[in-house]
Amino acid sequence: MAAVLTLESLSLAQGNRLVLENVDGHFEAGTITALVGPNGAGKSTLVQGIMGVLKPIAGRVRCEVPKARRAWLPQQLALDLSFPMSVEELVMSGCWPTHGSFKRYGSAEYRRGQQIMHRLGLQALEHRPLGELSGGQRQRALLGRTLMQEAQLLLLDEPFANVDAATIDILIEVLRDMAASGVSIIVVLHDQDQLARLADRVLHLDRGHATWTTPNAQASAAPAPLAHRSRTAGGSA
Amino acid sequence: MIDWLVSPLVDFGFMRRALVAGLALSLVAPPLGVFLTLRGMSLVGDAMAHAVLPGVAVGFLLAGFSLPAMSVGGLIAGLLVAGLAGGVSRLTGHREDSAIASFYLISLAAGVMLISMRGSSVDLTHVLFGSILAVDSTALWLIVGVSSATLIVLAAIFRILVVECLDPLFLRGQGIRGGAVHGLFLGLMVLNLTAGFQTLGTLMAVGLMMLPATAARFWSKRLEGLMGLAIAAGMLSSVGGLLLSYHAGLPSGPCIILLAGAIYLFSALFGRYHSVFARWRRRVQPILPPDAHG
Repeated sequence: MAAVLTLESLSLAQGNRLVLENVDGHFEAGTITALVGPNGAGKSTLVQGIMGVLKPIAGRVRCEVPKARRAWLPQQLALDLSFPMSVEELVMSGCWPTHGSFKRYGSAEYRRGQQIMHRLGLQALEHRPLGELSGGQRQRALLGRTLMQEAQLLLLDEPFANVDAATIDILIEVLRDMAASGVSIIVVLHDQDQLARLADRVLHLDRGHATWTTPNAQASAAPAPLAHRSRTAGGSA
Repeated sequence: MIDWLVSPLVDFGFMRRALVAGLALSLVAPPLGVFLTLRGMSLVGDAMAHAVLPGVAVGFLLAGFSLPAMSVGGLIAGLLVAGLAGGVSRLTGHREDSAIASFYLISLAAGVMLISMRGSSVDLTHVLFGSILAVDSTALWLIVGVSSATLIVLAAIFRILVVECLDPLFLRGQGIRGGAVHGLFLGLMVLNLTAGFQTLGTLMAVGLMMLPATAARFWSKRLEGLMGLAIAAGMLSSVGGLLLSYHAGLPSGPCIILLAGAIYLFSALFGRYHSVFARWRRRVQPILPPDAHG
């Protein structure tokens, strides 16, 4: 399949600290790529670079997907979840790229929102404020927003942190469905088991350099510590 | 009772003007306050209220007690402090609130200095604490104009503000810079503080923004509810405070803000959510079975 995203000798820095150097690679439609590596290896930095939030200091990111169809699911900790907003309102805010500040949501959008919430098992919680949801329910609602956006490129930063097992199953199933329909997905992961269930390819980051591997090679290379790290994962660089 | 409520308004033009001014401010200042509290910027409003003072003072020095001159001065000073604070925080990497705190103190001291160089302490009191007697028709047009403009701009950026409050990176991913929205929001706040200082005084104007907003959080968990209740609380305080000020011969600003403060205290004690009473009631209630969809 065609590459929707290409990294060409990409170097990224946070402030004056070089985080990633000379990263090359391409991401195809319909594939799920896992970003792995120790804390501080530059996984979140690469995600920021791909989203265009962080400007490269050398090389470039070529993205065939228009901005409106690029979605991003940040780490939950980065969000203010005390904001008085309901699940439905959060999901509907995925209409932003097509509706902007002024356009009214039509009944077709609301119907689609209902279907998405149903798909994610959130139908009974649609009017529940975000502050009253569990970690897993919030993560499903956030994924709902990206489904609403009809993303073609989806970036997820540790989507399974602080999330219950049932939600992980739903999220993996939905993400696999999205990939099957042609969405290119990039996901920052720690857990070896989730990696095996979800990813087609693996981009391993360590000390500023990136290497492409497969989930199987990744599993034999670093078995125990990676799985252990997911419990304490908090750092992001 | 009805006479107590109505006769000052029937008898005196300045009371009618002050009432309209108060209601116009109450329509927009509390929603701005709701956004301030939601963005964790409650004290930034307070700092900006102090920051407008030197501008008001310069207007006062140049044109005497002229509301348009003082308002324009206040607006410039407020925007200058907001801009400088934003610039310093971006250049140095310090948090914006510490930069605002530094600049507003400089600004406040400069303002008090300027006013004391020229005017009497009566003038200073007037600028700091407001006076309903001074709301002439020019002032009223200015206040109503600012309220209307704020309402329109707020409606236009409402969705973007909501999305940005929750997840700033979502908008940045779509190529919208949160800084511009933030700047526009701060601009609206300064505009309303300068419009409010005529009836409330520079230091009290922020009270009509914050107190109704913080009180509303004890009654609603929905954004529409917060806005509606905050506006209602603001209007109640404005009308009640004006009447109290008239009948008791007290300054209008403190009357209005103290009434809003009373509403806040009542809400903190007896409100529906998170209040002292609500917490007590939850403690004595039996524990409910878990949610079926948890």
